[in-house]
Amino acid sequence: MIKFQRYQLENGLQLLIYPDYSTPMVALDVCYHVGAKNENPNRTGFAHLFEHLMFGGTKNIPNYDDALQHAGGENNAYTTNDLTNYYLTIPNENLETGFWLESNRMLELDFSEEKLNVQKNVVIEEFKQRNLNQPYGDVWPLLRELAYQVHPYQWQTIGKEIGHIADASLEEVKDFFFRFYAPDNAALILSGHVDPDACLHLAEKWFGSIPNRKVNKAVLPQEPTQTAFREKTVERDVPDTALYLAFHMPDRRQYEYYVCDLISDVLSNGNSSRLYQRLIKEQKLFVELDAYLSGDHDPGLFIVSGKLTEGVSIDTAKSAIWKELKIMQNELVSTVELEKIKNKLEANLVYSQMSYLNIAQELANFENIDRAERINEQVDLYRSVTSADLMRLAQQLFQETNCSQLNYLARK
Amino acid sequence: MMDRTIQPTITEAAKPVILVPEAIQLDNGLPVHILNAGTQEVTRLDFIFDAGLWHESNPLQSALSNAMMQEGSERYSGAQIAENMDFRGAYIQFVVDHHFGTISLISLNKHLPHLLPVVEDLLKHSSFEEHEFETLINRRKQRFLLENKKVKVLCQKKFSEVLFGNHHPYSQKVRKEDFNAIRRDDLYDFYTKFYRSGNCRMLATGNTDAQLAEMLNQHFGGDDWQGEKMVLPEFTIQSADKKMHQVKKKDAIQSAIRIGRLMVKKDHSDFHGLQVLNTILGGYFSSRLMANIREEKGYTYGIGSSILSLNEAGYLVIATETDQAYANDTITEVFAELKRLRNEPVSEQELKRVRQYLLGEFIRDFDGPFAQAQSFRSVADFGLDHHFHEQYYQTLMSITPEKLLNLARQYFIESEFYIVVAGA
Repeated sequence: MIKFQRYQLENGLQLLIYPDYSTPMVALDVCYHVGAKNENPNRTGFAHLFEHLMFGGTKNIPNYDDALQHAGGENNAYTTNDLTNYYLTIPNENLETGFWLESNRMLELDFSEEKLNVQKNVVIEEFKQRNLNQPYGDVWPLLRELAYQVHPYQWQTIGKEIGHIADASLEEVKDFFFRFYAPDNAALILSGHVDPDACLHLAEKWFGSIPNRKVNKAVLPQEPTQTAFREKTVERDVPDTALYLAFHMPDRRQYEYYVCDLISDVLSNGNSSRLYQRLIKEQKLFVELDAYLSGDHDPGLFIVSGKLTEGVSIDTAKSAIWKELKIMQNELVSTVELEKIKNKLEANLVYSQMSYLNIAQELANFENIDRAERINEQVDLYRSVTSADLMRLAQQLFQETNCSQLNYLARK
Repeated sequence: MMDRTIQPTITEAAKPVILVPEAIQLDNGLPVHILNAGTQEVTRLDFIFDAGLWHESNPLQSALSNAMMQEGSERYSGAQIAENMDFRGAYIQFVVDHHFGTISLISLNKHLPHLLPVVEDLLKHSSFEEHEFETLINRRKQRFLLENKKVKVLCQKKFSEVLFGNHHPYSQKVRKEDFNAIRRDDLYDFYTKFYRSGNCRMLATGNTDAQLAEMLNQHFGGDDWQGEKMVLPEFTIQSADKKMHQVKKKDAIQSAIRIGRLMVKKDHSDFHGLQVLNTILGGYFSSRLMANIREEKGYTYGIGSSILSLNEAGYLVIATETDQAYANDTITEVFAELKRLRNEPVSEQELKRVRQYLLGEFIRDFDGPFAQAQSFRSVADFGLDHHFHEQYYQTLMSITPEKLLNLARQYFIESEFYIVVAGA
C-alpha cells in the first residue's frame, strides 16, 4: 500500500505527497497532462520540443540547471503520447529550490528566437540519432501509421517528420505553452524525505499564485474499429528480418487492460515463458520474440514482435506465432502458470517500491490516466483475473481483421 | 509579493552514511560480505568470480561460458531454471566484464530457500549441452551483427584498439568469425577452471535474513567445488602511434566521435581531482562541452566525457554523435575546451556549482541498499576500501581552481589525445 496524501490548490493544481524516510532525498515531479496526442497533426513533435525548451530558463531564473546544481539536485524529463513529465531529485535540506524552479517554469518561460533555434537543431539531431541512424529506427512510425488511421497515436513523440520541428514558430510555441502548461492541467508529486505539512505550505507559497488557465482540450478523434487485415512490407539494411503484429486493445482504465497485460506475460515474460521456450529455444524460429502492450492511456496496441532466425520465412514465422495465439484462445492457462505470472507481478511491485523516484513517476502516470489512487488497486485487479478471462480476451483480440502486420525484411 | 528571482537559501547537504559490510568466511574459505540495509524484504546475492575477458585464451570464452550457466545443469534443464526463477518472481543475471564473471540473484527473502538449491546446482554442475550452445551462439552472433551496424559501436571498438593495442584484453576485438571458431569444449574448460569457490567472493545486500549466512554456508561452503586459484596472465598496453583514425560506414547519417587518452588508475593520488575536472569538462548536463556544443551550437543531441577505471588502466573518453557536416567543428571545439581548462582557472562560482552537484551525486551513490552495494563493489573490485570514498569527499570539499588548473596542464595535453571518427 502506497500511503500518499492528496490536496488541491485553489488554482486547480493537484498535490500528491508520499513520505519515505529511508532516503535523505526528495523527488519533485510535475506532470503536465499534455502529450503528443494533443498536438496539431501538422505540428507534430511539439510536446517533446517543448520538453527541451523548458530547460532554457524562465522570466525570473536565467539558468535552470545552474540553480538546481547549486542545490545538489539533478533533473530530467520525458514525453509520451499521453503526458509530459518533469522530475528532479534533491537533498531534502534544499527542497525549496525545487519548488522555486518548477513554479517559475509553470509561471512563464523566457522564450526567444535564438533559444528556439538551438533547441530545434538539437531535436533534429536527436531525430537523426534515434530514428534515421539506427537499425530498425523507423519501425515505430511505420507500425503506428499502419495501425491508426485517425487517432493521434499514429505519430511518435519525436514527431512525424523533421519539417514539423524545423518550421515551428515562436508564436506557435508560446501558444502551446499557455494552452497546456497550467496548474489546472498538472499534478505536483513529492516523494521521499518530506514533511507533508511543510510541502503543502511550500506548494501554496510558490504555486498558489499561478493563474488557472482554464485549459480546454479538444476531444480526440477515436479510432474506428478495424475491419480488415492490414499488411506492409519494407526492406532495409539490417542484419535480421523482423516481423511485427499489432492488435488494437482496450484503454488503460478497463479491467480488460489488465487481462491483456497478463496475456502478454504468459506469452513472453521471462525465460520460462511460452514464446521464449517454444519458438526461440525449441523450434529455433526466432532469435528474439516478445509480446507486450504499448501502454498507452487511450486504446493502444498489443504487439508481438520478433527477429527471425536466418533462413526462416515470414510465413513460417507468422504461422508459428498465430499457433500460440490460437492456443491462448482455445485452452485455459493452467493454475500453476497463472500463479507464476501473478507471483512475478507481486515481486516486481515490492522491488519497485524500493525507489522513491519510481513511486513519484508511477503516481504521475496514474494521475494522468485519471486518478493516482489506482496505484493501490493494481494488485487486486491482477489477482482477480482468471484463466477464463484470459481465454475470452484472447478470442476477442487475436482476430486477423484486428491485426496490422509489418514485415521488415533484411536486404541481402 | 515575494521576489521570484531570488533562490531560496541553500544549505550544504549532509554527508551520506557509508555502510561497511560485515565480512565473514564460509567453511571452505569463500569470503562473503553482508551489507544489511533497506526496508523491503529483498536480498541481492552476487557471486563474483575472477573470470573476465582478462582470463580468456580465446575471444568469447569468458562471456559465453558465463551465459551458458543458465542453460542447464545436472538437476535442472535451462527451462526449469527459468521456470523456478519466474515462479518465485526472482531475477538471475549473468554479467561479464574485463576482470569478473558475475552471477546475481535478486529475490524476496521468503523465496531464497527455494532458489539457492537451483543456484548451487548451476554454479557447481552446469552441463553446457551442445544444442543449447548452438542456440546461444546463433543468438549472440545476430546481436553482434546488429550492434556492428551502429556507428557508435564501430567507433568505440576502434578507440579501444587504438588505446590498448590489438592484443590487449581491454581492446574490443571480437570478429564475426570468432562465433564460428568457438567450441563448446572451450567454454566448458573455462567454466571448470574459473567458476570454482577458490576463485569466488560473494556480496549479499538487502534487508537480509538472520539465517542467511547459515544458508549460504550450507549451499556454497563445502569443499566440493574448490578448484585452484588461477594465475593472471600479463599484458602490455601498446597504444597506436598515429593519433587520428577513421572508420568508414557507408550511408551513415551521423558520425560517431571518440576523443581520449590513457589516464591514472583509481589508486593514484590525482584520481579524485581528475573526477572533478572531468565533470567540469563533460561530466554533467551543464558541463563545458554540453554548454558549448549542444546548448550554444546545436551540433548534437548530447556530448559527454568520462574517466573509466579498469583494474590495470584508466582512460578518459569524450563521446558524441553528430551530423557529419558538424564533425570537424565539434572536434575543434572539444580541443578548444581542453585548452581553456589548461589556460584559465575555473571560476569560484563554477567550482561551487560542480561541488554541490557532485555532493548530490555522492549522496545518491549511497542512497538505498543496492546503491550502497554498487559503491562497495566500486572499491572492493579494485582491492580498495571505504577510505577511498572518504578521500574523494575530502578532495571534493577542498579542491581549488589552482589545483584543477595544474591537473589540466598535466593531463589535458593536446598531443596525447587520440581521435576516432566513424561515419560516411
